[in-house]
Amino acid sequence: MAVPSAGVSQRLVNWARLKSPWVTLFNSGGCNACDIEVIACLMPRFDIERFGILVKGSPRHADIMIVTGHVTLKQASRLRRVWEQIPEPKYVIALGACGASGGVFHGLYHSVNSVDSVIPVDAFAVGCPPRPDEIINAVVTCLNLLKEDIAHGGKEWRQTNGIKNIKNTNEIREATL
Amino acid sequence: MIGPITLDFVKEKIQDIGTAEQVRSNRIRITTTPGHIRDAIKSVQELLSCDRLLTISAADNGKTLELIYHLTGPHRMIISLALELPRDAPEAPTTSDILPPSGIYERQIHDLFGILFQGRSDLKKIILNEDWPENEYPLRKDWTPAPDTFYGGIKGEKV
Repeated sequence: MAVPSAGVSQRLVNWARLKSPWVTLFNSGGCNACDIEVIACLMPRFDIERFGILVKGSPRHADIMIVTGHVTLKQASRLRRVWEQIPEPKYVIALGACGASGGVFHGLYHSVNSVDSVIPVDAFAVGCPPRPDEIINAVVTCLNLLKEDIAHGGKEWRQTNGIKNIKNTNEIREATL
Repeated sequence: MIGPITLDFVKEKIQDIGTAEQVRSNRIRITTTPGHIRDAIKSVQELLSCDRLLTISAADNGKTLELIYHLTGPHRMIISLALELPRDAPEAPTTSDILPPSGIYERQIHDLFGILFQGRSDLKKIILNEDWPENEYPLRKDWTPAPDTFYGGIKGEKV
């Protein structure tokens, strides 16, 4: 990760990361409504490609992973494996009520109830499904995090400064109240 | 193609297999036993021209497990062949050789209800994850997840 006194090439890389984040999509057992909203982001009305946000098929090409759906037991290990393939710096967006807390599938025999019990999540976009502008907002939130991470020289400052990832549904509820 | 499928027509054709009743305007339910189900499906295919399997549904009604084969044909009347199985040893003969689409339903029902289909050797997991424990059938009414059992997902530390 770059420090403020980085060289020209590192500053160029950081500029490119901020200007054109590549996104990969992973459905961990959702109903496909969130995936359709991501497709709506690509369509002419919102057209996120004009901001340089590209949706790529492979996690090895991506900077940001969008996870849709509650995580089934079968998909949990696959989700972890796909997440491990993304090169650093990587950011994760959990989409929808299911990604945040399991949604209507909470407590089901075959669900782990939230994305962040499997991988660390940087942004939640809540809704069932969230609107495309909320998805774009989540991506921009990740880019702001990336900007601050570059300034701090890594992701560790978020743990040490008390601004940690939201870990469970109770904290989400407290944060929204 | 045969004429309209009425309750009397069905009763006349399948007298020795089970009892028929009209449960809805387009659905006739035939209650039969596990020993007769293969004959019932064969005769429904031949005599009532029901050559399509819509689905096999299973249910836990508290006392017994219920298995219902829904078949239909060009006349668009649905014939439901229902059988009840005991909870302690639910076994039914396989129908995947006379009704090929039923193979995948049988594997799913075996996953979720634990009904054993005699004559099938490949009843491996299809819906549940590979490391789901044996003899745990989540859609049975009396099933609750055991506290110390690993049902799948991620083993070990969180990231």
